[in-house]
Amino acid sequence: MSERMRESLSALLDDEADELELQRVLSRIGDDQELRQTWFRYAAARSVVSGHRLDHLNLDISGRVRDAIAGEEAATIAAGARPGQRLLRPLASFAIAASVAAVVVLGGQQLAGLEGASGDGGQAVAGSVSPVGLVNSLGATSVQASYGTQPLPVLQPATRTAYQELARQRMRKYGQEHAEQAALNSPHGLIPFARVPEIRE
Amino acid sequence: MGITVVQAARSWLFICLAATGAGAAAATCPGADSEALAWLDRMSRSINQVSYHGVVTLQRGGDLQVMQISHAVDGDSTRERLTQLTGQGAQVVRADHPLSCIHPGHRLLRVSAELQAGRCGIAEYYRFSVGDGERVAGRKAVRVRVDPRDMYRYGYVLELDRETGLLLKTETIGRGNRSLEKFQFANLAFDEQFPDTTEVNVVHQAQHPAPAGPSPDALAASSWGVHWVPMGFTMTDTPRDRLLRRTYTDGLAVFSVFLEQLDREIRAGEGVVRDGSTVSYTRGMQLEGRPVLVTVIGEVPINTARMVADSVRWAR
Repeated sequence: MSERMRESLSALLDDEADELELQRVLSRIGDDQELRQTWFRYAAARSVVSGHRLDHLNLDISGRVRDAIAGEEAATIAAGARPGQRLLRPLASFAIAASVAAVVVLGGQQLAGLEGASGDGGQAVAGSVSPVGLVNSLGATSVQASYGTQPLPVLQPATRTAYQELARQRMRKYGQEHAEQAALNSPHGLIPFARVPEIRE
Repeated sequence: MGITVVQAARSWLFICLAATGAGAAAATCPGADSEALAWLDRMSRSINQVSYHGVVTLQRGGDLQVMQISHAVDGDSTRERLTQLTGQGAQVVRADHPLSCIHPGHRLLRVSAELQAGRCGIAEYYRFSVGDGERVAGRKAVRVRVDPRDMYRYGYVLELDRETGLLLKTETIGRGNRSLEKFQFANLAFDEQFPDTTEVNVVHQAQHPAPAGPSPDALAASSWGVHWVPMGFTMTDTPRDRLLRRTYTDGLAVFSVFLEQLDREIRAGEGVVRDGSTVSYTRGMQLEGRPVLVTVIGEVPINTARMVADSVRWAR
């Protein structure tokens, strides 16, 4: 995936893409699996931060991606894959139910039902949409076998808040170590240390 | 008997002149303002040439800090000190930094001589322009506008002292022309004073990367790596065995990546906090079956942090 494509993808997910960038990504999405996986990954992760649904974008993306994929889907059907399953994964990018990001166990509590339990691939929004794409593209093995049969909880604001708190803690924990490097490698002298919330001896 | 002076010096050189890896060998440097780059070069060299001290204000969001800064050039080394006059009241001291020690970030700023040879360096990632500046701390200044060529970094407005090239004021500009951070000298004198300051609670000695003694094998043994950084970013120091941090700079922006292996599974997700121009981005995820927490801290946009975190892989 080229650098330019990466930039366009990032802009798209930040609601800052223009028509040209949208076209650039859409023209490739049918062919480029890496692009699709990366899109899915970024969109899923992003939803946790902002609770933000991609269908708020002014551009009607779902329909156009669906069209772009339809071309690929036709080829896939010809190859014998199940159409519903193929369609679900990329469209899940737009199904920004926060549950997409809820992949694994937290403190022993089981998360389950991670397959596309809704069954019909036509739905763009599915509460139990499969995050299989997310898991795979992060390099983990499939988690389907590991989980029990409890219903998949929607990712609660609690998790979002928890991660916010974690980021805040890490800022305090690592901020000074980062400032050490910034103070040697930027033109600001020792001033980067002034960014550190609490300087340690 | 310990390590000889020559060996020690060579070790310092290794870390301080570490390869930058920047600057593709382009035939030309399109849009590179050579006057601006010459000022950048001068700015970088000025800290090894002039002694100065003064009071600096730092504005980040609604927060204002005031600090005293002293910097002296003594023969073949520099010493500097920062004292917070507000807030925590901490002090940071860097004693005895050799003049010959040029870290990767500064090397990236000193490209103006190489433009002729077609090595554009930092001019590939930023657009620069020079103009008249304002008066800062009573000094006449030159303004260097720095605009990023991609979306992975911020812009800057730098005011440099006309006479010495010293950086007097920096404003970090985010998307939508928002001012994220601004620091500037409120007053400034060019001599070697380290004025007595009010009581100081914490004194921190600024660290320096240890000389890179270990062989390339140590690097190979590092268990993880970052596989994507924006163009022009280079490592600031050599990762050692089990080091939890990788830091990158493009000469102006710096970010660090930290990896923690977790002993239990974690629900995947990400969190972001921003303070001034600094972002702290933490992502919990499975990395090839092992749960980890990746944190990216730096003066870069969120998406840069996110994409860098996304590219972290085990080395084996």
